[in-house]
Amino acid sequence: MGQWRTEAQDEPNTLLTLESLSLAQGNRMVLEGIDGHFEAGTITALVGANGAGKSTLVQGIMGELRPVNGRVHCRVPNARRAWLPQQLALDLTFPMSVEELVMSGCWPTHGSFKRYGPTEYRRGQAVMQRLGLQAFEHRPLGELSGGQRQRALLGRTLMQEAQLLLLDEPFANVDAATVEVLIEVLQDMAAKGAAIIIVLHDHDQMTRLADRILHLERGHGTWSTPARVGDASSTAETLA
Amino acid sequence: MIDWLFSPLIDFGFMRRALVAGLALSLVAPPLGVFLTLRGMSLVGDAMAHAVLPGVAVGFLLAGFSLPAMSFGGLIAGLLVAGLAGSVSRLTGHREDSAIASFYLISLAAGVMLISMRGSSVDLTHVLFGSILAVDSTALWLIVSVSSLTLIVLAAIFRILVVECLDPLFLRGQGIRGGAVHGLFLGLMVLNLTAGFQTLGTLMAVGLMMLPATAARFWSKRLEGLMGLAIAIGMISSVGGLLLSYHAGLPSGPCIILLAGVIYLFSALFGRYHSVFARWRRRVQPMLPPDAHG
Repeated sequence: MGQWRTEAQDEPNTLLTLESLSLAQGNRMVLEGIDGHFEAGTITALVGANGAGKSTLVQGIMGELRPVNGRVHCRVPNARRAWLPQQLALDLTFPMSVEELVMSGCWPTHGSFKRYGPTEYRRGQAVMQRLGLQAFEHRPLGELSGGQRQRALLGRTLMQEAQLLLLDEPFANVDAATVEVLIEVLQDMAAKGAAIIIVLHDHDQMTRLADRILHLERGHGTWSTPARVGDASSTAETLA
Repeated sequence: MIDWLFSPLIDFGFMRRALVAGLALSLVAPPLGVFLTLRGMSLVGDAMAHAVLPGVAVGFLLAGFSLPAMSFGGLIAGLLVAGLAGSVSRLTGHREDSAIASFYLISLAAGVMLISMRGSSVDLTHVLFGSILAVDSTALWLIVSVSSLTLIVLAAIFRILVVECLDPLFLRGQGIRGGAVHGLFLGLMVLNLTAGFQTLGTLMAVGLMMLPATAARFWSKRLEGLMGLAIAIGMISSVGGLLLSYHAGLPSGPCIILLAGVIYLFSALFGRYHSVFARWRRRVQPMLPPDAHG
């Protein structure tokens, strides 16, 4: 029977380890025997055709799905784990401003009652400035463009000081200027020691951003580097 | 004039008790209603209000008009329906709102049947529509206790509820299951409906929860604004409805809910956001022809 644990690993730089991980959706086995180490400071692109099991793997890593076989070891505490969903997962009618969304990144560490102090608010202002959100800080989420919304969501992740970050197609329906800002911020987060796993389809973005690629196909995973992906005709077909 | 208007609230004990009961319910029911509207569960509140009826009926059959017995029965019935609906939803894959709708109809029929077997139509009317002017000290203590408890629990889970409404995956990422939060929220709702049935009846208790919340959405786009306005509308409706009831010799529960309804209709017509008037003002103006720009 599979396990999902948060205990420390032998390799101090490894934040997340997958050991022969098999995951199923209902009675249907989706992924089998996935292995991998995700070190601090690395960006891993998760690629594969629709239905290849990318979302299932993310669910498994987040603890949403219990492994059928194998293990997920995670050294990062819940409060430092962030999941940036596709924008469609958000309720855009919710009465919340950009600043409030960004500040909600403090919630995992502050809990239900601890007030957000001046330090947190100053950090929130710096995060919004970094992401070019200051002009929209009081604007409701429902009135933002797709790009502005994605910046705000990443702002929440920055406030959370996430050490393990999973992103599901963060550049979909986002303007080119925002893509540049997001790539810079993600590279900066990785440089500061976060392990980032990102579901991507665009080959150029993958080449620019990812250190390693986990390619999912027919239930199995293959590791490669961006340079090798460009030469691999099978992967190129999948990405096209 | 002001003395004449407000003197009943000072002169008569039953009016003072009714006022405190109305204000206590208005302090907590509208914020729960705000969360219900934000979660797209506006009609679930209505369904749960019906669902408490068989429990109230069993309490009535066993102990007569004993408020603690009827309230306890209502609470158990409400929680049972919420739990069963959640279970059916999980086991069958059907949406939870359809399961709740099915169970509340069964509950309503069972409740009316039970009361009809032992009581009179007057008893049934009392249970269905309540009587805020008949609130005694026991009922008042129950209402105030439920309101205080709700306020404390709501404060404790406020941030979690906000996160869960906006982005349930973020919550799950922190290792908190949305189902537990959802269950606690439904429990609070049932508790307040049970507390409210003595004053407004099982059918109208949800009115003080939903109407202020839906009216507030026409005036604010901020969560704090929605909460504050909904509470204010609830309190105005309670005080205004009580006074209207006294001076016009009308039943108090319907007066309170109708006043909240009038505020809702006014808000829908003239509110700051998304009202008929606001939409009319924001109609897209046709572009001027190029030469008209000078």
